[in-house]
Amino acid sequence: MIHVLIFLPLVFGLAALVLPRQARTLGLVGAGAALVLGLVSFGAYLEGSSGAYQVPLLAEAGVYYAVAWDGVGAVLMLAVVVTTFLALLAAHDVPPAMVGLALLMESGLLGILAARDLVLFYVFFEATLIPSLLMLGLFGGVGRVRALVKFAIFTLVGSLLMLAGILAVRYLGGAPSFLLDDLVAHPLAGAAGMWAFAAFLIAFMVKTPLFPLHVWLPDFHAENHPSGLADAMGTLYKVGLFGLFRWALPLFPEAFLAFQPWLLALAALTALGAAWTAYAQTDWKRLLAYGALSHMGVGALGLFSGTPEGALGAIFLLAASAVYTGALFLFAGSLHRRFGTLDLRPTSGLAKSAPALAALGLILVLAMVGLPGLSGFPGEFMNLLGAWQASPVWTFVGFLAVIAAAAYALGAYQQIFHNAPDKPADDLDAFEWQWGALATLAIVFMGVYPKLFTTALQPAAEALAALLGGGR
Amino acid sequence: MTTLWILFLTALAATFVGFFAPARTAKVFTLLGLVAALVSLALGWGEPLSAYGGLYVLDPFAQGFTLVMIVGGLLALLADCDYFQRKGWPPFEYYALVAFAVLGGHVMASTAHLGVIVVGLELLSIPLYALAASRRDEASYEASLKYFLLGAVAAAVFLYGIALYFGATGGFVLGAAGSGPIYAAAVMLLLAGLAFKTALVPFHWWTPDVYQGSPAPVTLFMATAVKAAAFAAFARVLAAVGLEGPVFYALAALVLLTVFWGNLTAMVQGEAKRMLAYSSVAHAGYIAIALFGPDPAPAMGYYLLAYALSTGLAFAVLTQLDDGRGVRLGELAGLWGRSPLLGLGWTVALFSLAGLPPLVGFWGKYLVFLEAARGGQYLLVALALFAAVIAAYYYLKLLGAALFAKAEKAEKIVLSGSTPVGIALATLLVVLLGVLPGLGFGLFTAANAIVR
Repeated sequence: MIHVLIFLPLVFGLAALVLPRQARTLGLVGAGAALVLGLVSFGAYLEGSSGAYQVPLLAEAGVYYAVAWDGVGAVLMLAVVVTTFLALLAAHDVPPAMVGLALLMESGLLGILAARDLVLFYVFFEATLIPSLLMLGLFGGVGRVRALVKFAIFTLVGSLLMLAGILAVRYLGGAPSFLLDDLVAHPLAGAAGMWAFAAFLIAFMVKTPLFPLHVWLPDFHAENHPSGLADAMGTLYKVGLFGLFRWALPLFPEAFLAFQPWLLALAALTALGAAWTAYAQTDWKRLLAYGALSHMGVGALGLFSGTPEGALGAIFLLAASAVYTGALFLFAGSLHRRFGTLDLRPTSGLAKSAPALAALGLILVLAMVGLPGLSGFPGEFMNLLGAWQASPVWTFVGFLAVIAAAAYALGAYQQIFHNAPDKPADDLDAFEWQWGALATLAIVFMGVYPKLFTTALQPAAEALAALLGGGR
Repeated sequence: MTTLWILFLTALAATFVGFFAPARTAKVFTLLGLVAALVSLALGWGEPLSAYGGLYVLDPFAQGFTLVMIVGGLLALLADCDYFQRKGWPPFEYYALVAFAVLGGHVMASTAHLGVIVVGLELLSIPLYALAASRRDEASYEASLKYFLLGAVAAAVFLYGIALYFGATGGFVLGAAGSGPIYAAAVMLLLAGLAFKTALVPFHWWTPDVYQGSPAPVTLFMATAVKAAAFAAFARVLAAVGLEGPVFYALAALVLLTVFWGNLTAMVQGEAKRMLAYSSVAHAGYIAIALFGPDPAPAMGYYLLAYALSTGLAFAVLTQLDDGRGVRLGELAGLWGRSPLLGLGWTVALFSLAGLPPLVGFWGKYLVFLEAARGGQYLLVALALFAAVIAAYYYLKLLGAALFAKAEKAEKIVLSGSTPVGIALATLLVVLLGVLPGLGFGLFTAANAIVR
């Protein structure tokens, strides 16, 4: 079943590329099937079936096609299938090829999460870049080529350096293959470990993203198709925290502890700096890009604390923010459909003419701010718990971002919906009702019943913390 | 044996068929001959064979490299889109010359005797000088003349190296023990001669001009088959003399110069063929990196196959657009709309050349870097990877020119003859071998020892 889940979107995506007329139907069926399969797989995982499978891909070089769900992979997998479905449901007016590319990207993302072999992980990690670049290049705004080159170069510098690290970690560490278990059993210590960790770190910092390697992010989001489909998929592609959790920290615990104080500082500064910058934005997508960056900073702060709470919080926040940030990008798409602009200023007082739209926006914005009861809060809170144990000072700095979040998110919300009525706008249409209801359901469920997900995450988080010596 | 004879008879037959039958027949004849050679190669795959008193050694190593050359030759023939007929030139010599060049490359790869290598080298090179001039205009003649003059100098250097090698060791067969300054000079001269053929910096100066000036299908052939033949000889010489002391540093310097110079200069080119020429210079550097590993032959062979398919595909697409004055980046605009097959081929080829998975180019890069890492050369690998990022920039530029820009011309491109077959086949192989890398790499693991 795990293969069906990973490659089904790929098949539907290719079909959608070949048959542009049926693209929307194929997209919905493909993403819907992946959603159902994902829920079933998650259920099966909770009952103890990881779907582990392993077959040599390039036996002579120790590369395997090895996939399995663990708690972390399964939770993030749910976020991927839910958000992709939401995005395809919402973006009903995108060019047909974009639907196909989004499905290809979903396949790549699921592969990233399921891979248990470092080279296979790398293959999926890089392969996902192709549809992402094509969506930006083919359907982006006027500055797309600049944004594309920036995005591609940042990502490739990081990941090609990581390739050198990948080769080093196996051949200097002496592991017989690139399988995760083999690599963890043969750790690479000393100076070589430091260098290899640094290479992994750069790749994942670009993809988390963390200051100062986040520069590609605002342009990437601002220049993508206004519907927000590519932005939602791009948000799912921010797998840096997952990469750190699954690969970089377990492979190099010693090097991580040496870097830890710097990393905590970096995460805290990212969180605060991004929130600060978000406040100054006048464009929906740039605001959301910086807001999401700030969230990733908070998540990184938790993960770098090395505590079980922090690690758990980081992944929970990653999963939750993928859903609500993705939904917010789609919401920005809805506003663009109404006004033909993503600027925050020319529209105000929408709550009068479009109350349901206002309600949906409010739910999404509050989830982003981290209101208890919605999906943003549990992750943020656990990050706070974990980070405080590692460094109260940086935690204080980093969590100032939460205050700032209220400022930029609610400020923008008020600007659009609550000031004096400007010009009227249509309320939710059928498409928006559908995806809005589904998104609300997911966000509220994650907020009021986080236990379902934390149970799945708990063992992995504790194992990681034990490997890192509890972060102290 | 059979392979050698089949290639020889194909070349001979293609020459004479052209006198009596239309050019199309000569083309079919040559294609069939190359396929037959491929089949004979497959039948004896993995089993070493030696003939003519050890002058001809078809070991797994030679088989692997010959496979790449034949693939290059097939692509050059399939994707020529009746390039020459379109221009109204008698084209049958084209097929015969390609067949002779493949034969020469095959000879060059399948011997450890320096004298025979030279014969193979000349048999490979002389048809190419003629092919480079075959468009019969200023640029084409210029390309041919440059190629010929520099090629002759390189051959002279190589021959002088052979003479010194004979002086130092008393034999012409690679692998004899030798030492002293004369031996060292011999080794350096041999490697310099072959570095010219493989287009390693600073012996690459001919490449951009020749690639740009030659007709596009000829460039395709040069970039794929010729490179494979040259690297076969290069690897054999290097394996015989060992990678120690000055040779090690010389090769490391060549590799780094090649990847950086090739990629950096490719960035600033305005013409697609010239850009790909510099890119092929850079790729030669990546192939050479494998030589630092303990067992370079499989990785090199696989990289060459990956590279031949990807570059071949890219040049095949350019063949359809080239009107003799090169292909400016602006002319690529709207490629998808003008011909979806060309657009698809171009996209796949460039992503593969940039080394993005899941395409065959990634596995080629991965395997050569793995080989160097096994040899402990992490610094070299890291630096070469940096150069690969630079390469991503201009591949994106080439891709963007075709995909993301507004079209200058809108008329459809009609593909003729065997062209769609060639492009579709290459595209399919690039994707297939990318998804199932074991399939392609399995072919080359038999080539695990370079016979001295």
